Order: sequence, then structure tokens, then C-alpha cells
Amino acid sequence: MYNYVIRRVGFMAVTLFLVTLIAFAVTNILPGNVALVILGPNATEESLAALQAQLGLNRPLYVQYFDWVLGLLQGDMGQSLRFGEPVAALIAERLPRSLLLAVTATLIAVALSIPLGVYAAVNQNEAPDLTASMFAFVGISMPIFLWGLVFILIFAVWFNLFPTGGYVSPTEDLVGSLHRLVLPASAMGFALTAYIMRMTRSSMLEVLSAEYIKLARAKGMSQRVVVLRHALKNAVIPVITVIAFQFSYAFGGVVVLEEVFFWPGIGRLTLTAIQSRDIPLIQGCIIVVALIYMISNFAADLLYAYFDPRIRYGGEE
Amino acid sequence: MSAQRAENAEHADGVEGPTDSEAPLLDVRGLRTEFRTEGDPVVASNGVSFSLDRGETMGLVGESGAGKSVTARSIMRLIDTPGEITGGEVVFDGEDLLEKSEKQMRDIRGNRIAMIPQDPMSSLNPVMTVGEQIIETIRRHQDVSKSEARELAIESMDDVGIPDAAERIDDYPHEFSGGMRQRVLVAIGFSCEPDLIIADEPTTALDVTTQAKILDLLNEMQERENTAVLMITHNLGVVAQTCDHVGVMYAGNLVETAELEDLFERPRHPYTRALIDSIPEVDSEYDELPTLDGAMPDLSDLPSGCNFAPRCPHATEACRTGGDPALESVGDSTSRAACIHAEDLDLSESTAVEAGSGRREIDRSGEPLFEVRNLKKYFSAGDGVLGNVRLSWDGGGLPSVERRYVKAVDDVSFDIYPGETVGLVGESGCGKSTVARTVLRLLEPTDGEVYFEGEPIHDLGSGAIRSLRREMQIIFQDPHSSLNPRKPVGRIIGRAMERHDIATGEEKRERVGELLERVGLSAEAASKYPHEFSGGQQQRVAIAHALAVEPKLIVCDEPVSALDVSVQAQILNLLNEIQAETDISYLFISHNIGVVRHICDRVAVMYLGKIAEFGRIGDVFSAPFHPYTESLLSAVPHANPNRKTDRILLEGSVPSPIDPPSGCPFQTRCPKKIGEVCETDVPELEDVGDDDHRISCHLSIEEMSERDSFIRAERQSAETVESD
Repeated sequence: MYNYVIRRVGFMAVTLFLVTLIAFAVTNILPGNVALVILGPNATEESLAALQAQLGLNRPLYVQYFDWVLGLLQGDMGQSLRFGEPVAALIAERLPRSLLLAVTATLIAVALSIPLGVYAAVNQNEAPDLTASMFAFVGISMPIFLWGLVFILIFAVWFNLFPTGGYVSPTEDLVGSLHRLVLPASAMGFALTAYIMRMTRSSMLEVLSAEYIKLARAKGMSQRVVVLRHALKNAVIPVITVIAFQFSYAFGGVVVLEEVFFWPGIGRLTLTAIQSRDIPLIQGCIIVVALIYMISNFAADLLYAYFDPRIRYGGEE
Repeated sequence: MSAQRAENAEHADGVEGPTDSEAPLLDVRGLRTEFRTEGDPVVASNGVSFSLDRGETMGLVGESGAGKSVTARSIMRLIDTPGEITGGEVVFDGEDLLEKSEKQMRDIRGNRIAMIPQDPMSSLNPVMTVGEQIIETIRRHQDVSKSEARELAIESMDDVGIPDAAERIDDYPHEFSGGMRQRVLVAIGFSCEPDLIIADEPTTALDVTTQAKILDLLNEMQERENTAVLMITHNLGVVAQTCDHVGVMYAGNLVETAELEDLFERPRHPYTRALIDSIPEVDSEYDELPTLDGAMPDLSDLPSGCNFAPRCPHATEACRTGGDPALESVGDSTSRAACIHAEDLDLSESTAVEAGSGRREIDRSGEPLFEVRNLKKYFSAGDGVLGNVRLSWDGGGLPSVERRYVKAVDDVSFDIYPGETVGLVGESGCGKSTVARTVLRLLEPTDGEVYFEGEPIHDLGSGAIRSLRREMQIIFQDPHSSLNPRKPVGRIIGRAMERHDIATGEEKRERVGELLERVGLSAEAASKYPHEFSGGQQQRVAIAHALAVEPKLIVCDEPVSALDVSVQAQILNLLNEIQAETDISYLFISHNIGVVRHICDRVAVMYLGKIAEFGRIGDVFSAPFHPYTESLLSAVPHANPNRKTDRILLEGSVPSPIDPPSGCPFQTRCPKKIGEVCETDVPELEDVGDDDHRISCHLSIEEMSERDSFIRAERQSAETVESD
């Protein structure tokens, strides 16, 4: 296990290095000129050149890259051109908000999808299963932001139960914060539920036909014990990867969803950064999102080992 | 052991057991189980009636699809949809189980009737410790505390011979070997001291030496607890070793019930005779293996007369038209048979032709066709930070680098002459399949030389290897997964010809038809898809595919292990016939000693990646023996109840090939270990006689010849058993 963790961390470092290369390359290919964005269309050639020199944009690309990576290693992501603040500080402020949204959404999705998937599998091809499958099909077909709009329409506009958007910090006003969290988190949670549920259902169906399930029944175990104790713990193993994947997907989804709900998280920050050609900020956002992605998959692999005793990474037993 | 006949169990006087009940423990009457599929319902168990007393063992035998498992699961009311029990009674200890509620049945399952399933690898829940799985059974049925249940579980693991039960109880199933897992399943079965155990092929998935141990364990547990056992098996050898009486099933019907001895000495149903005859005896020679021709009819399309009539050598017009006969007593015997001719037929003589000539002599004066020298195949045991490299600080100072390998094949040499069959036999994990794949360069050899007609295969580039593939083909165990399911078999076979420029167009089509007829199928089969064939027919297609390129050598990797005994013999005969016609050579890999005995000219017995003994069949199967060969041979159950074998049971299980024992690889389990020399010196594979018979053992030839003939020793032991 210990060996495995070390190796995985090593691989993550390599991946992260590749991500910095790509992020750097992509942002430098983007059309548009930062100096032009800052100074406006009426700027003179001289002032543009002066600003570029000031920002260090006239240096060779590889110098800029090493400069940037060296900074990254020390936790310095550079200065946002648009906001004039350190990128790290900007991200540190926005990231927890996005995490709050994505984590809550994933929790909602797991809480809904696993029981539903189990229920559908146990009642295979009967009314509850068919209903759930239909729901899942609709869920998968609709993009996340559309769920957001539907939720706003129903719960905010028609029933006026929740505000249409905005963010309040939970440390300032817990109730108000939760109140505003409900809609975006459930919209995203619903979008994720469908896929996890389908995975749970098919995994559960496979497990329920296993020999050890037959033996559990032959030992006189009740249906409840067979399903919850014997089948579920096996069925959930492949679902973990799906959950981790869906969490990363949710993190990508926040870019649009945050815009729909006026949620000042990392998604909106990324959008702003791209619109204003704020290269250091774009790069910082890419790195952070990639890191989240890697960590969630790593966590999934560790959870795997927890649920499946046959996997003891690099074990000697 | 008391062995009462079903019908007159009420007259029984020797009923043992805690209750003095005169009635049988289990009385199944007219049990009928149907599966409702799209068409007409399929009757998988059709009016089955038998009974079983306390402490008795009854065998339920038949080919796959005969309805044995369905019948057994119906007794426990564990039939999954779309199956349904539609008639009959299952009277267990005076009460009809079919009348019980599901809740009442749950109290009986695992408690009064327990099941021991077939496959130890898939029957234990992988995410629960074995302890949890035993304890939950105990707690489900007995009013005990958690810690008491744990004590009971440890005790039951002790009872079934799991060493260090108290420590191992918290281990997960994957940490146990197959044999140990089967012991856990036995422990679960016996944990609530049931009155009846249903053992569904409990040893089919095990190696022969493990099988012997599990069967002994079952017998011992059964005698101690006075449990009745319903033993479902397709292996008549297992039946002969364990049962008191037997039911034979065919196409959903019970076609014969008889006392064990009567069944073997005087079978009353032609199917029983055919089943017994289709098992090759290890110590007999045959020109052609006895077979049971044809296949069981499709249950949804049964013949109008007796179900067995289409395959029966004694069938008459009356059999074919008179409907399926009922199971009735035969004369004044205790046997019952479902055959209208049962009274008149005398089936006591085996119809198998036992000819002494055996296999033809192989001319080994020329050059061998195929030669393997000092072949090694190591797999990297890579799991540390640095892959398979491990640093060890043993010597002090700088750490030394050590590479760790699984030595799957370690220094194996043999040769094959034209027209010869050489067998590789051994238990799972001994490296025999790795040899097969490495000599064909499907795996890269780590070291060693392989020559085919003088060509150094180990040195060839991938292009040259590909053209050599035309000369060397392979047949796998599972034809179902080795044939492309999306292509008709004619195309599969034809493509092989095209790829090697053997034939195209009309000529190709003709040859495909010929080949299919050669392997016992019709030329029309070319347009069918693999799934339209039965397992045996698929293996025939695989053989036709291998023959399509006219090879000189076919590597057969467990080609009959997945097939029913009756089909097994047909395939083996086919391979022999083809060899007689074309002088082709086979490298034949199998764990089944009986099969190897009848198809091979020479055989290598493998243990932990090394050859323990090599020689001609007659030499390997007679003294002098390598101690491992001797124990393997002793463990084969004979399909003859009068020959209870004196088994040599091996201690422990096969050691890990990562850290093989020092010295002789077999020393940790060897019943004839001499002492230190076995632990320090690796024995050479030395000639022990003429004819290239080689054994790798420190014992002297005299010591290895104590059992001067295996068969005689067996008979002696049978006498001792009887005098007990």
C-alpha cells in the first residue's frame, strides 16, 4: 500500500508537469494580446511595447515558462493582469466555494443514486426499474446547465422557494448560505445521479447473479441481508470510479453552472480570465482544476482498496 | 454404513441417528420444476422421486443438463425466476417443504439443510472475511452471542482441517488456496450441524490431490455428525468412493436408482452402462476410448419415445414410440429403472473393448520434430516502488539489488518425435500452460532453446515465427472464447487457409467442408455461427481450424477439461484418429491423469515449474515412481466401488513460485523425504532405466520402486479396507 501511494504520487507529479507544459503552450497560442486588452484599442505602439516589457512578455517563451514553473513550485502563480492581485489569492478565495458546490452535489447524487440503483436492480424489469431507467435516460441526455435552468424555473420562479442565485459565505450566514446552495447543488446533483444510478444498477445486477449470493441465500439469509450486506459492498466497487469521474465532471460543469446561478467560484473566475486574456490567471485555473481531477481519481483508487480486500496495492500477502 | 433402498425404507432396521424415526429423512415425490421461457415451459426436473435416510450418502449423476442441480436446488426451494416448482412433494423430516412459507424455509436453509457449492473461487464473498461468512450463518440460526459464534466458527474451521484457524478467521477468501476455500465452504455447510448436506459438485473445480482430501474430509464430517449427503457429481469415480446409493438422471428424469454396488455390477438402464463405460480406467489399455455417442436431447424438444432411445444401442421400435417410460422396480432387485427392457437386458458386462495393444510404437531413431532445451520463463514479480527490483541491506554497507521473479517454468527439456504425443501433466500452477505458450513464442522465453525441425524458434524474428505458425497450431481449453462469435465457422476455418496461402475460392470451400466432416460435423455446418454448436462440437470446430493449415504439431492446452466425460472420450478418439492418418504430433497439456494415460506416448510430470518425472506412459505409470507421481496416481478416484484406493495425501499446498523451497521443490510436501539432502541439493533429472525414463529425486531406484506395481498395491489396500 505504502509503495503504491509513493508511486502514484510520483505519477501525479509527472502528469502535473505535462499539464503545466500544455497549459503554458495553450495560453500562449490563444489569440489576443494582454497589453492591448489592458490599455484599450487606442493605445500607442510605444505604450504597448512598454507594458509588454513591464509584464515580461517580450522574453523568450522558455524563459517565461521556467520562470512560471519555478514560481509555481514556491506557491507563486504570478500576478493576475486583470485584477492586479496574486493569482493564488484569487483562486484561494474562489476554490472553496466551488468545492462546496461540487461536493454537496456529489453527496446528493450518491445519496439518491445508490439506493435507487439498488432498488431498480432488485426489481429488475418491473415498474420501479423501468421508471428509474427512464429517469436516468432523461438525466443523461440533459446538460448540467439545463437542469439549472429547469430548477430555477420550478423552485425559484414558480414556487419561489429559493433565490435564483447568488452566494453567501457559510461563516457569515449559515442559513442564508445553505438556502442559496440548495438549488445549484441539487441541479448539479440531479445531473450526476442518472449516470451513477445506471452504473449501480448494472453492477448490482451482475453481483446478484454471483455464486456467493446463491450461497448466502442457501445459508438462510434474508433478502435484506443478501442485498445490503452481501451484494452492495461488492457492487459499489466499480461505482466508486464512476463517482470520482462524475465529481471531476461536476467540477468541469461548474464553469457554466456558476454562471447560471451567479456563483462566484472558480468556474466564473476562469470565464472572466479567458474573456480578459489574463494569462497567469488562466494558467492558474487550469493547474488547480487538473490537480482536483487527479486528487479525486487518486482518492477513488484508495477507496477501491478500502472496499476491495483483494486489492492491497503492492502488498506482499 | 447403512444403505437402504428408497422404496422399502420403512422396513429398514439399521436406521441410525438421533431420532428413531422410521421414515426417511428426505422423501422427494414426483418433484417437477419448470422454466418458463419464451416458448413452451422447459421441464428441467420431471417427476423425480427418491428418498434418503439419515447418515446416508446418495449420489446424483448424469451429464450436464440432466437436471441434477435443478433437482437439488428445488429441494431447498432456491429456484430463481423464470424457474418454478410446479408439482410434487419434498418431505423433509415428516414435513412437506413445498408447503412452507418463504420465512420458514429461510430457517431451514443453512440450518437443517445446508449446501456445499461447486466453485470455491466464486462461492465465497470476496469482500467479507471467511470468519464473517461462517459467523453470520451461525448467528442466523443459533441463539449465541457474537463472541460465542466466533468461538464456534474457529472450532468449525479446526474441524475441517484449516491450520491456525484462530489466526486465519479474519482473512479474506483470496488469501486462501482453492482447496482451503473449499474447506471453508465445508465448514460453513457443517457449521449448524445440519441433517442434510447438498454437495453440488464439491470437488469438480479442484486438483486431484486436493479432491481426494476434500472427499475424505466430507466422509469424516458426515460420519461424525451423522449427516445425510446428497452428492451431485458427473464423476462416477467420486460416486464410487463416497456414496451408498445412486440416482442417475437423464434429460430431467431419474432413469435409474440403485445401491452403489448394484449400480456398478449390474446396471439396469443402458444409460448407466454407457456412463460407466465412458470412463477410461487409469490401468487399462484401449485401442479406442469407449464413448457415449450423441448428445442429450434439447429439453424443449424431447423425442416422442424414451428420451434415451436415440442414443441407446438396445432401443427398439417400442422404445421410440411408447412415450417416456416410468421409473419402476426391476424384478426382485432393489434397483429401479426407467426402461421398458430393464427386465430382459443384462448390462452387467462392460461393452467397452479393452484391447491390450495400447498405443503404437513411435520410431525415435530419427531427428525429433520438436525439441525444448532448458526452457525458462520467469515473470517479473514487480510490486515495489522500483518494480521487481528489491534492495536488501542484509550484507551491511551498500544495499544489494535483487530482482524478484515468479519462476513459472524453470529449466524444462523434452522432445517430440513425428507422430508422437507428449503430455505435460501436473496440478494448477505447475507451469504446464506456460510451457505451451512459451514454446510457441506466444510468450517470450526468458532463457533456453526451442527447435522445430532444426529451426531455432527462440531465435526467429516475428515474421518467421508467423510463417512457422502454419506448422504449429494450438487448441485451447475453452473453444467458446477462442472462436470469433461474429463469424460463421466456415469463414473462420477458411480464413486460416487464406492467410497461409493453402487454398482460396471454390477449393477452399470444398476443403472446409471436408475438414468439418473429418471432425465429425456436417459440411453444412460451415454456415453456422459458433454459438449454435454445443461445447463438444465447438471443440471439433477448433480442431478443424487447427488442421486447416496442415500443421505438423498441435499444442492441445486442456482441450477436454471443459467437456462432459462422454464428449471427452469422443474428442480424444478424434485426436487419435487424426494422428493415425496424418502422423501429426501433439503436445498435450492436462491436469487429468486418466486422459493423459490414454492419449500420450510419453509424459512429463511437472511440479513448481520443473519436470519431476519424464518417460513413456508405461514407465511413468509403474515403478519406480517419483513420490509426487505416486501421490497423484493414488489420488485418482476409480469408478469401481470395490477399489477404494489407498491414497497418499500430501500435506499443505503448492509453495509460491516466487520463493520456491530450497533443494528439491517437492521437499516441503514429500511423504518420502530423506532429510537434509532434500533441502540443500536440487536433484538432477536422472535416468532410472532404459527407454529414457528420468526421475528427479534423491531416493534410490529401489526406494522409488517399493510400490512395485501401482495396481497391485491398490488391490492389497482394498483388501485391508474390507477386513476392517
